Amino acid sequence: MVKRFAILLGLGYVSFTMIPVASALDADALVKAGFDYWRGNASIATVIMTIHRPNWEREMTIKAWTRGQKDSLFYIEAPPKDHGNGTLKKGREMWMYNPKVNRIIKIPPSMMSQSWMGSDFSNNDLAKSDSLLIDYEHSFMGTDTHDGKKVYVIKSMPKPNAPVVWGMQKLVIREDLIWLRQEYYDEELTLVKTMTAYEIGMLGGKLFPQKWKMHNVDEADRYTQLTYMSLEFKSSLPDNLFTLTSLRKARR
Amino acid sequence: MSIDVKMAWRNIWRNPRRTMLTICAIAFASLLLVFMLSFQFGSYETMINTSVKIHTGHLQIHAHEYLKKKSIRQVVSEPQEIAHLLQTIPKIEAYTFRGQAFSLISSKERTYGVAVTGIDPEREATVSRLKSSVREGEFLAESDKDQALVGKLLAKNLHITPGDEVTLLGQGRDGSIAATVVSVKGIYSSGIDEIDRASIHIPLKTFQEIYAMGNAIHEAVIIVESLSDVDAIKRSLNVKLQSQNPDNPLTAVDWEELMPGLRQSIEMDLVSGLIFYLLLIIVVAFSILNTFLMAIFERTKEFGVLMAIGTTPERLTKVLLIESMTMTSVGTSAGIIIGSLITIYFQSRGIDISGASDLLSQFGITGRIYPKLSWISAISGPLAVLIITFFAALYPALKIKKMRPVEAMRAV
Amino acid sequence: MHLQLAWRNVWRNVRRTTIILIAVIIGVWSMILLGSLMRGIAVGMIKNGISTLTGHFQIHRNGYRDDPAIENSMPDPSVVESVLKQVLPEGSLWTRRVRVSAVASNARHSAGVTMVGIDPLTEAKLSFIGTAVSSGRYLTPDDHNGIVIGEALLDKFETKIGHKLVLMSQDTHREMASRAFRIIGTFKAEMESTEKQYVFVNREISQKMLKLDAAISEIGIILPDKPDNPNVYHNLKTALPHDQYEVHNWRELLPFQTAYLRILDGFMYIWYLVVFVAMGFGIVNTTLMAVYERMREFGLLKALGMKPWWILREVLTESFLLLITGMIIGNGLGLVSVYALSGSGIDLSALAAGAEYAGMTRIIYPAIDLKDITIANLVVLVLGLCVSAYPAVKAARFTPVEALTHT
Repeated sequence: MVKRFAILLGLGYVSFTMIPVASALDADALVKAGFDYWRGNASIATVIMTIHRPNWEREMTIKAWTRGQKDSLFYIEAPPKDHGNGTLKKGREMWMYNPKVNRIIKIPPSMMSQSWMGSDFSNNDLAKSDSLLIDYEHSFMGTDTHDGKKVYVIKSMPKPNAPVVWGMQKLVIREDLIWLRQEYYDEELTLVKTMTAYEIGMLGGKLFPQKWKMHNVDEADRYTQLTYMSLEFKSSLPDNLFTLTSLRKARR
Repeated sequence: MSIDVKMAWRNIWRNPRRTMLTICAIAFASLLLVFMLSFQFGSYETMINTSVKIHTGHLQIHAHEYLKKKSIRQVVSEPQEIAHLLQTIPKIEAYTFRGQAFSLISSKERTYGVAVTGIDPEREATVSRLKSSVREGEFLAESDKDQALVGKLLAKNLHITPGDEVTLLGQGRDGSIAATVVSVKGIYSSGIDEIDRASIHIPLKTFQEIYAMGNAIHEAVIIVESLSDVDAIKRSLNVKLQSQNPDNPLTAVDWEELMPGLRQSIEMDLVSGLIFYLLLIIVVAFSILNTFLMAIFERTKEFGVLMAIGTTPERLTKVLLIESMTMTSVGTSAGIIIGSLITIYFQSRGIDISGASDLLSQFGITGRIYPKLSWISAISGPLAVLIITFFAALYPALKIKKMRPVEAMRAV
Repeated sequence: MHLQLAWRNVWRNVRRTTIILIAVIIGVWSMILLGSLMRGIAVGMIKNGISTLTGHFQIHRNGYRDDPAIENSMPDPSVVESVLKQVLPEGSLWTRRVRVSAVASNARHSAGVTMVGIDPLTEAKLSFIGTAVSSGRYLTPDDHNGIVIGEALLDKFETKIGHKLVLMSQDTHREMASRAFRIIGTFKAEMESTEKQYVFVNREISQKMLKLDAAISEIGIILPDKPDNPNVYHNLKTALPHDQYEVHNWRELLPFQTAYLRILDGFMYIWYLVVFVAMGFGIVNTTLMAVYERMREFGLLKALGMKPWWILREVLTESFLLLITGMIIGNGLGLVSVYALSGSGIDLSALAAGAEYAGMTRIIYPAIDLKDITIANLVVLVLGLCVSAYPAVKAARFTPVEALTHT
């Protein structure tokens, strides 16, 4: 009986320390966990990217394969004019493929700060998507609530020699590891752009924000919105998917 | 009054050689100024005209904020309307339409970001010197589709020659992906680094297709008949453009706004020129001052006698001034006439300064400068000479007042 | 005795002589002053060009100048440097540089720049950057992430000293290399374009970033005295095998400035001629007047037996003395005014865009060139004597009868 009580106590103690999944972990681990939650080991998704400007709007349907934090393949399915265009990211290098000219072009440094496909994401944003984990030190700033759940606000400061242009980033991650917001600040700590995630629902077998919006703080009517139509998490994806040959392949 | 003039005229010719030398000095200075000013203005005009013919044109019409932002979406949507408008303005010599986009260009070995310009080959040849700056291969023809002209430095960096293929990848007006493969038809060398290193020209129709432009363009580039017409045409264009589309008018900008450093460097040259001329005139003035002085001092006796019989000093002064000014006027008139003739002669033939051609090609001057005679260049120099010599003549003339007849008569 | 006589004759009519003297003085003065300003512009351009990382000579790997990409780096600079030690005259300076095109970004802006990896101490002795730092500080050899940028670039990027700048370029493995630097200082240059183009970091850091190991892009060389030295040029070319290295002198590296120099001489001499003609009329006229005034005197002298050639010489000597006096004073004034301007120079900042378009520096300092001064003076003296020959000949031809009957 004492034994059972001890076990219960032990379990209770253990569970007590584990339920607020985030708080006992440090900020670095939370960020990594949130990142992993978001990308999984590997994922396949179909996303509609809406580019909105004051007097026009454009939608593209993109199929995206990601593996870990380093490899991504994007394939444009619609509109028909852009069908078949692809972008491959491997490590920090990026290539683009265009079926009409049937050429693969490696993106040179001079184009890395240009926008990707005309969106508010730059080539760099995609290429250095894992920079948040490598180049920053994270610390807790405070807490909040969202939909009845606890939310952690994290301050991410770039490490001294990290090649990142931001002065600071602020991350808002919910206790169930859902990434709610990412704010980008310049060195004067003025907000430059924000990415917000919303409409949380079931996707790929877990709670996941269906919509993500990236916009510059100065311009209200210009933003890029990603809407997940489907999402599947996998334990791994084959190596040959993230190659230049694969980039060229037409997919229906 | 006319007696004074007659007397003055006869007095001048009492010593023909001295008078001739003085008149020649003044004529020389005037002639020189007329020619040099005409040359300067002509060279500015040549400089501006050749610079605008490299790429920018005298005037351009674009969407309102295009010059600042250069975004592919800031288009001139109805080029036909603009064409009609331009045809109604008589002093416009030629115009063409262009599209501009910034894209990746990729050869087998290298990739760079470049400015892609869509041109109308026939019209472009009337507006800019692109056609004549093609050094290898050929210029684009009206019927070409997937051909391109590449700048010399860019071709070098990409390791390509005519016949090679390059890929263009960028973003269209509607945000879609713009991509195409073009083959290099010609390589041009404009003399301007920026153009030779970072630009490529393709046919406008191809451009419009690839970049999803529809019928729209970005720039209407205009060449006018004469530089002096630019201002008036620009104003009239802006008024008409405003009335065509009051909420979002297109604007006409001139070459000064398109190439701000050019006007200033011309101003600088003008200012330094003026300093030279001023010094020159002063030297001439002192040169001839002696003539005027001598005229007084060797006639002291004569003046003494005249004053003794009742001529007022004022009248004498007047006669003297008329003498000086007559010489000066004859000199300046001769200078203006001869200077103008020389200028007109070279205005049609041009002056060859090919020794400096590689330097001046930087500014777009090919080696022939055409002096340009205008009212300003013909009159202002000699006028300055006139004024300064007037003051030079005044000094001795005023000395008359101080003369005392009795002493004067005794002079040798 | 001869000269004394001539000198006294010159000053017989003080006013007349003074006036023509003033004409000569102003003429010579303007020749010296304006000539020195024109030369100052050319010299300024060249000095600026040389000190903006050009130097008197540059050595690269063969093919670099046509294609300045990282593939054309010099793998082993020490080989070249041992050649330099032998070939270059004592007192020459050289330095190693890494020079690649890169993209600089911060949170709000990005632009193409040229990243220059320098050895701060030696570079300071060779190029403008040593004295150009206007705020913050210059690089020290142990700065591992310091970067010095132009003031115009600082403004363009709306940033400050102490803030970050991320540079991105392609390394030797054709991969993206990026590195964060901290702005430790800004420099001011003659041309705004220089300020916007060059960013300076430590050479070793740039080599590390680009995976160059010991390779560099170029070696810049400054000779101890004159910038031109055909011997050294030839020796360098012979000592460094043509298939591996290329050597250029500043004239080849700065074609625009070199061409400007060439036509400048032409312009200046034309100006000299023009000024001379302007005063020439006055010289002839005045001398004629003087001669005619002394007609009786010359006639008498001839009647007494003086040879005509003697009279000619007399008149020419007087002209000569006049010209020399004018030249001495004119040169004096010219040199004084040049000296006065050489402190602050002529500031063109108001017309800066124009000056930059024309390739000129913002401040012009007059430059005295002995050749210019000599030619200016020769023009005045020789041509002055030539035009004085006409009245002198006239004087020599007066027959005693004409002269004595002249009133």
